[in-house]
Amino acid sequence: MSLFGTSAGFGTGGTGVFGSTTTDSHNPMKDVEVTSPPDDSISCLAFSPPTMPGNFLIGGSWANDVRCWEVQDNGQTVPKAQQMHTGPVLDVCWSDDGSKVFTASCDKTAKMWDLNSNQAMQIAQHDGPIKSIHWIKAPNYSCIMTGSWDKTLKFWDTRSPNPMMSLQMPERCYCADVVYPMAVVATAERGLIVYQLENQPSEFRRIDSPLKHQHRCVAIFKDKQNKPTGFALGSIEGRVAIHYINPPNPAKDNFTFKCHRSNGTNTATPQDIYAVNAISFHPVHGTLATVGSDGRFSFWDKDARTKLKTSEQLDQPITACCFNNNGNIFAYASSYDWSKVRVRLYSLLCAERDKNTLSEINKTTS
Amino acid sequence: MTVCTYFLQGRCRYGDKCRNEHPRGGRGAGGGGGGGYNNYSRPPPQQQSRGGGGGVYGNRVWVNPSQKSGGNYIQPSSFSSHGGDGWGGGGDRGTARAGGRRDDTKSSEFTFSTQNRFSSLNSPSTFDRGRGGGGGDENDKNLETIQKDMEIWESSGQWTFSCYSVLKGTISGFTDLAPEELRLEYYNTRASGGDLQNYTNGVTQLLSQWRNRVQELKAMNASTRVAVLAELNNTGAPASSGGFWSRTGTGFGSSSSSFGSGGFGAPAPAQASSFSFAAPSNVFGSSVAPAASTGFGGMAAASTQPPSGFGSSSAASSAPSVANFSFTPAANKAPAASAFGSASGFSFSVTTNTGGGFGSNFGAGTAATAGSGSVFGQTSGGFGGTVAGAAAESGAARGTSASLFTPQSELTPEELNQFGAKRFTLGQVPLKPPPADMLAV
Repeated sequence: MSLFGTSAGFGTGGTGVFGSTTTDSHNPMKDVEVTSPPDDSISCLAFSPPTMPGNFLIGGSWANDVRCWEVQDNGQTVPKAQQMHTGPVLDVCWSDDGSKVFTASCDKTAKMWDLNSNQAMQIAQHDGPIKSIHWIKAPNYSCIMTGSWDKTLKFWDTRSPNPMMSLQMPERCYCADVVYPMAVVATAERGLIVYQLENQPSEFRRIDSPLKHQHRCVAIFKDKQNKPTGFALGSIEGRVAIHYINPPNPAKDNFTFKCHRSNGTNTATPQDIYAVNAISFHPVHGTLATVGSDGRFSFWDKDARTKLKTSEQLDQPITACCFNNNGNIFAYASSYDWSKVRVRLYSLLCAERDKNTLSEINKTTS
Repeated sequence: MTVCTYFLQGRCRYGDKCRNEHPRGGRGAGGGGGGGYNNYSRPPPQQQSRGGGGGVYGNRVWVNPSQKSGGNYIQPSSFSSHGGDGWGGGGDRGTARAGGRRDDTKSSEFTFSTQNRFSSLNSPSTFDRGRGGGGGDENDKNLETIQKDMEIWESSGQWTFSCYSVLKGTISGFTDLAPEELRLEYYNTRASGGDLQNYTNGVTQLLSQWRNRVQELKAMNASTRVAVLAELNNTGAPASSGGFWSRTGTGFGSSSSSFGSGGFGAPAPAQASSFSFAAPSNVFGSSVAPAASTGFGGMAAASTQPPSGFGSSSAASSAPSVANFSFTPAANKAPAASAFGSASGFSFSVTTNTGGGFGSNFGAGTAATAGSGSVFGQTSGGFGGTVAGAAAESGAARGTSASLFTPQSELTPEELNQFGAKRFTLGQVPLKPPPADMLAV
């Protein structure tokens, strides 16, 4: 069931996992489904860095666990290992050499998981759930950056129980991204802060949000010289803003676009608007992928300002996504993201029964 | 080089990599006002006048999808307002015009809304009332935008617990909660064996608060109007940069000096020039160690007090105050105590905080900030102490004043003096909202 090697695009040609001819909204793109998915919603995905041979995928979930799969070249996934937290895992990241995985959880701690020894130890502590965790590798230091709902951004070298540095934020951290030497944090109440990481992390600029609603996800993109130059910011209102840090012409270069909405062409009936749950940039082409609560993922080219592809609709929202290090594989997770709280309120029992899946596809873009 | 015809139409696949020329003015021609394909013969001078008209290009919104090409292309449209109309009117007027023009294009070139709702977020000239339009006009546009947005919000099924804004500051009355926070609350309740009914009740209550606020803004009766305008205008006042989101509107151009145009990568040890905070930028300069952030540290200290509830309360605090959390070191109007209840704590306590909900922390906080320019150099102890004090008092104040304004009878003479004065005096900033009649809107 290899989807690899097809240059025709996504999900075509391979025999689907389910092989049925009817439209299957569980995996309509006929992508390879990862074996042994977590038992609850997947909050984050991360592929191993290029320094490691092979592709390993880490996924953190609301079942308090972090799982590791090896993704083989034929598309098969092999579960490798698992670690537990005492609270739902909200974010994961790899160290740059691929030997360690860092996991951040609602239990207010972050752990460092050494894959070789399969041991995990706590390296960070906050006063509130840790929402984002990133590894920073600078020429003169390396550390972990954790952003938490306790409104602080802390930097830890993994050997000491005290943070190297702690920066105060105006509000709870909702999402963050790091591409050395730049870090972006989006907080509650439409807060947006850019940090520069040279020498030591410091706040670089606070930016007025280009979006009107709550920030949900952020991803930094690089320019042609491979330097971080701006970021994409997604909100709960089906909109993504592309924002450059120092554009020659801010009014023209920065823009927003709508995505993950229903009723594309029909403006008569009210649209359904879905949150953008995650944004991920292709490491080679620079195109971006967005996944949303509507259960679709889309690929966009921000320079040509065009949409490249939208997937079929899955039966559940897509909560996380990730490209592998050379951009050949795109992984996305389909699980409930708590977006329909109004409806779900009256059927709390149903929430327990959600199926959760991870899927991967081979990806080629023009 | 030949001019790229696709680019003129606004749909060049190659973007910067294209081998043909992409004339800069031509982009606007392609997208202007929704006329898509058919307008590429528009003469360039019109583009330039548009550019001269105040830089209100604002954002181009991608349009989904294009029926003509039947594929995955979108026609990017640019929503520049037309020339010297005064930027404020650009929004809705654009709609009318584009609607007319759109009739001739039989292709799909539609846009969800040609109203450039984000223009105000971009342009620094937003707040310059002197230009075209005039203040009143722009307020009306904003209010209309708010109303429309509320309608869309209600009907679209999007996440309800989100903040909302039209200009740079947020409109109060909305609590910002991430789905993960609610979910965690649910999981915790479930794990501790507690009654899920609590959770349900909490959420239901938040929902009804939201609904009320949306109805209020949709209906936009006189008092809501006053309140919202006060917020918008206060947020918009040039000196007080709408909360502590510093006015990077100017920052974009100016503070780029140390970085050049090569994106972020240039080495930038010279941090002093790269901050766009109005006042002591050098304070943030190099000492970014934890001490530097104590300005906000105090805030955090106070805000970790348990259920401070949501009270991201509604509008119109005292007139001269900035509507949002103003930590502007440029201490002009900042001292206005009545900043808002931050959604700092997150709990299901019943707080119907419409008016008096003071974020508490900000009152004395900003007072201290304003007083000493180098607040950020202070030790956290001192700062925290001040805030804690204020927090305690305003905690009580919050309880008492459940309305938007305090009647004059309830205010002490000192407080009345403060409200009446041009500026607040440090240390005597009232903790209750002003009486409605003292507001100068």
